Amino acid sequence: MYGYQIIKELERRSQGYFKFKEGTLYPALHRLEKAGLVLGKWQILPNGRQRRYYYITTKGRSKLTVERSQWQDFLNAVNLIFQPASP
Amino acid sequence: MTTVLNHYLENIRDKLRLDFSEEREVINELETHIEDRLQELKEAGLPEEEAAETCLGLLGSAKLIARQIYEAHSQGTWRQALLASMPHLLFGILFVLNWWQHVVWLAIILTLVLSTAIYGWWHGKPTWVFPWLGYSLLPVVAAGLLLLYLPKGWSLLAIPLYFPLALWWLYYIMVQTTKRDWLFSSAMLLPIPIITGWFLAVEPGGRFTEYSMQRVYDFAPWIGLSFLALALTMAAFIRLRQRWLRAAILIISGLLTLTMVAYYANGRLSLPAFLVLILAMWGLFLIPALLERRIRRSGRRFKSSTGHQLLTASVNGNVGEVSDTKGSHHH
Repeated sequence: MYGYQIIKELERRSQGYFKFKEGTLYPALHRLEKAGLVLGKWQILPNGRQRRYYYITTKGRSKLTVERSQWQDFLNAVNLIFQPASP
Repeated sequence: MTTVLNHYLENIRDKLRLDFSEEREVINELETHIEDRLQELKEAGLPEEEAAETCLGLLGSAKLIARQIYEAHSQGTWRQALLASMPHLLFGILFVLNWWQHVVWLAIILTLVLSTAIYGWWHGKPTWVFPWLGYSLLPVVAAGLLLLYLPKGWSLLAIPLYFPLALWWLYYIMVQTTKRDWLFSSAMLLPIPIITGWFLAVEPGGRFTEYSMQRVYDFAPWIGLSFLALALTMAAFIRLRQRWLRAAILIISGLLTLTMVAYYANGRLSLPAFLVLILAMWGLFLIPALLERRIRRSGRRFKSSTGHQLLTASVNGNVGEVSDTKGSHHH
């Protein structure tokens, strides 16, 4: 995926909830790339324009698994807190 | 793309302070994003000007984006940190082990410094090259000192020739370094007040005698220690991401090392000399920042004047003539 596509996808999947300053996506992508979690590659389109596509790396995938599991634990804990107290 | 958006990208480019290839990639990526967004907005029926304004609003502050991208790219690796601190370490070792008295070691280190600086200069000026560049000015300083030992008539002849040449060389190196980032220029100049401090402590008159050599011998461990402090500063400077932290470490380390020079010089560095050195350190720290402002302002003036000429010529159907004018500017 490329930067603009990521923004559109975030917007679509969150049903318009996640809207942020678009320019700030690129520093985040570059930080992930420096950490070896994603890999950026320039590709030439049929119309001659160039685009930078980002691919998740193996390291990035394992980090994602860990982060996703932590997020799930956090979400479960918050749900438990918000549950009505049992008598 | 409209002028507003071009100006926005120029603004980001000005503040990125990355090496040329990284800078070009960042700007290309943002440019592609802007083009995609503009196309979508225009397809939604917005006129060009309004689409550009909306696009600008969606992108966010140029200053913030440039700062965040700088911080994503600025941190050097440990290898770069080691390479950047290496010239300070070499000079530190030279004094700690008292090898400074051996011409062979001095010649080896100076050759190494010069060849590394030239290699780095012709290979894209990586971040680690700037401290080496600073030390490559040492032969110029040494040549200046040797002029003091010439017979009186010869000194009077050589000095008016030497000073403009030496200053031009220093200015040239500073401008080239500042074009990349003024903080690198300040880091490059950091050893100057410290070396001058030791020089004044050893021989305030500037003429070396056998007693001065004995004093260098006595001070050698502390001279070595001050170079080691500079090496640590450079390693930290390369590893830090934030610009304000990089500036802070240069200032703090410079002041502490200079205080160390005054302390270990056993009273041979007078208070006025110490204060002058502190002022010189501030000057050497701030001059590159002012130089950068001047370079950028003249760059912008050049761009706007050629842009205006290009616009006028295209209105008059006279573009070929302007290309020549532009070429002569470059020349």
